[in-house]
Amino acid sequence: MILEKLPGITGRLPGGELVLTTADYLIDLGRRQSMWPMTFGLACCAIEMMASYASRLDFDRMGVIPRASPRQADVMIVAGTVCKKMADPILEIYHQMPEPRFVISMGSCANCGGPYYDSYSVVKGVDRIVPVDVYIAGCPPRPEALQYAIVKLQEKIRRMSLAKGLATPQQEKGSRDVNA
Amino acid sequence: MNNATAAPIDNETVGGVQTDQMFINMGPQHPSTHGVLRIGLTVEGEVIVKAIPDIGYLHRGTEKLAEVRNFHHCVVLTDRWDYVSAMPNNLVFCLSAEKLMGLKIPPRADALRVIMCELNRVASHLLFFGTYGIDTGAFTPFLYAFREREMVLDLFEMLCGARLTYNYIRLGGVMIDTTPEWLTRLKEFVEYFKPRLDEYDTLLSFNPIFMARTKNVGCLTAAEAVNWGLSGPNLRASGVDYDVRKHDPYCGYENYAFEVPLGENGSCWDRYFCRVREMRQSIKIIEQALSKLPEGPTMAMGVAKIPKPAPGEAYAHVEASRGELGIYLVSDGGISPFRMHVRAPSFVNLAMLQEKLVGMKVADVIAVLGSIDIVLGEVDR
Amino acid sequence: MTQDELFAKIQAQFPKIEKAANPVKDYLTIRLPSKGDLLSVSLWLKNNGFDYLDMLTGTDYLGPVDMKGYIRQQNFNVFLPDGATPEIESAANPAYAYKPVIDLLWSFVSIREKARVIVKLELPRDAASVPSLAGLFKAADWQERETFDLLGVTYEGHPNLTKILTPDFLQGHPLRKDYAHVKDRFDE
Repeated sequence: MILEKLPGITGRLPGGELVLTTADYLIDLGRRQSMWPMTFGLACCAIEMMASYASRLDFDRMGVIPRASPRQADVMIVAGTVCKKMADPILEIYHQMPEPRFVISMGSCANCGGPYYDSYSVVKGVDRIVPVDVYIAGCPPRPEALQYAIVKLQEKIRRMSLAKGLATPQQEKGSRDVNA
Repeated sequence: MNNATAAPIDNETVGGVQTDQMFINMGPQHPSTHGVLRIGLTVEGEVIVKAIPDIGYLHRGTEKLAEVRNFHHCVVLTDRWDYVSAMPNNLVFCLSAEKLMGLKIPPRADALRVIMCELNRVASHLLFFGTYGIDTGAFTPFLYAFREREMVLDLFEMLCGARLTYNYIRLGGVMIDTTPEWLTRLKEFVEYFKPRLDEYDTLLSFNPIFMARTKNVGCLTAAEAVNWGLSGPNLRASGVDYDVRKHDPYCGYENYAFEVPLGENGSCWDRYFCRVREMRQSIKIIEQALSKLPEGPTMAMGVAKIPKPAPGEAYAHVEASRGELGIYLVSDGGISPFRMHVRAPSFVNLAMLQEKLVGMKVADVIAVLGSIDIVLGEVDR
Repeated sequence: MTQDELFAKIQAQFPKIEKAANPVKDYLTIRLPSKGDLLSVSLWLKNNGFDYLDMLTGTDYLGPVDMKGYIRQQNFNVFLPDGATPEIESAANPAYAYKPVIDLLWSFVSIREKARVIVKLELPRDAASVPSLAGLFKAADWQERETFDLLGVTYEGHPNLTKILTPDFLQGHPLRKDYAHVKDRFDE
């Protein structure tokens, strides 16, 4: 709440813009260097996600710790096929995450339906349900690709600023805008 | 919703505490359900009164999709059932389709298929070992298990380019031959891995806390296990000697000498320890297959680009890492299977939860569920 | 015991059972004359060593699968011009005898004697109803629910015959050959 009012307060002070940029930098630093994803593995991509948390490709060195509860998570990595029966729980869990929240769509099933593009019970991409920030291609993508996706998301968060409100770039412009 | 009765406090109320039943939803998003499984538990205090497993959160309809994919494309779909160990999935589909077409597989392809399936069994049981440790509260074995599993996945990647969904075993044989360097690396891995199994025993198998959590939990008698249709280590832990590799051998398994580990009373610990001993046997099979690897082609002649088998039906089954995986194929002479049914081991193994969990404590649910070792891709297909 | 010995034993007990015309390759396949025989045959098999019910499924023999059951455009090959003839992956095979039946299949295994018997039963598509084996073999419980969900076969006497795999809002039985997908809120 204080952060929302900050641009209004500092706008009236002389040199207020400078305060905002430092505040932006610090807030974004805190957010991006300690992203806590929710363990949301649905199918095969979950195994590659587990492999990236494990000993060889340690995710903890980037500040990423898996949290089981959506209330304590920053980013939801949708790893695996999104089936129609699971779509409602995904939306509920997305709404249970506190803002700012991000979504990474991992694997081609979550991007666009994948090898099950003509199935009667698969949602063709999780971006039909939740706004997605980063897409990772692959079936399944390598764990290094997931880590690169977190790096890309960190770069995106670096560009967030208080002047534009606290929305994530994707929530402003929608999922498919690549320039956001 | 409010219970508005205010009972007077007297000896009777204090002695007999008034309890109420509560409905807890476990899943579909839960760190320990190994995927998207939902179990609706009705508990009274800590004891479970009713348990209803709810599946279908990963139902992708592969049986219907197979009817519009040609036979080579279907192999791609098969990888994603038991995604932790994908080689036996490819193998069982290829065996069934080869039975339909009447193909004969060259011996080198058979030996390579055996090596890949056993290596994949090691990788799958390593993942089971790691995640079962996490379920029961021990985080360290997971890191050790994944260190070795990454080495196995490195071998697979060197051979066929993929870490998880290989599509290596194709109709008629295998996709590509191994190089001498790969065989050397495999021999080095086998030598490196053998002492690790003893290390895992010191980590988890005889740990007193682990044994207290799993030793007498979820016991199944042999008659119960057979009636429920269990297969794989779940069945063998109850003392029933049924291994498809010995019962109905395929791919030349009758030429390899190995034991089938059996358990005693079908508890969670027995199921866990059967898998650990199976890893040892798998390494034995790999060593034997490596020593007598025949030369020759790795793909049968006469496999069409778009196969059209003659009308007929075939059933083939293998001992996958989770149990007996079978494929029933019907062909009507067209380019796609007319009907493909997958007899998935995890689907049949999971059904026993609805009866077994009644009367247990909530904490035991995780121990029993983890010991059955299900993969939701297979349960829901 | 060999397949012929086993078949001789079965025929001694149930004279009307005969071997199926299209057997499943390498396994003894018998065809039941009517659904009333199912319970007695299963009970006899269970008491004579075949106490492991391995697989339970069915096949719809109506014809090649209707492409309306899949969510895809007619020609999604981008190199074809507009209005090209639709590429149908599953075309009818004129030599094959399609009939409006559902063919059910049960597979019983004897672990001690390393033998397998596959039992088949044909049912008309509109009245596909058989007695349930869930009382004899608990392995049949979920597999019968799956066959009911995907193929629409009713099992009389099953304790809980409800949908198990498909979502609640899905109408129809997907594995039937004439299944036409009804658009729901997740399709475009």
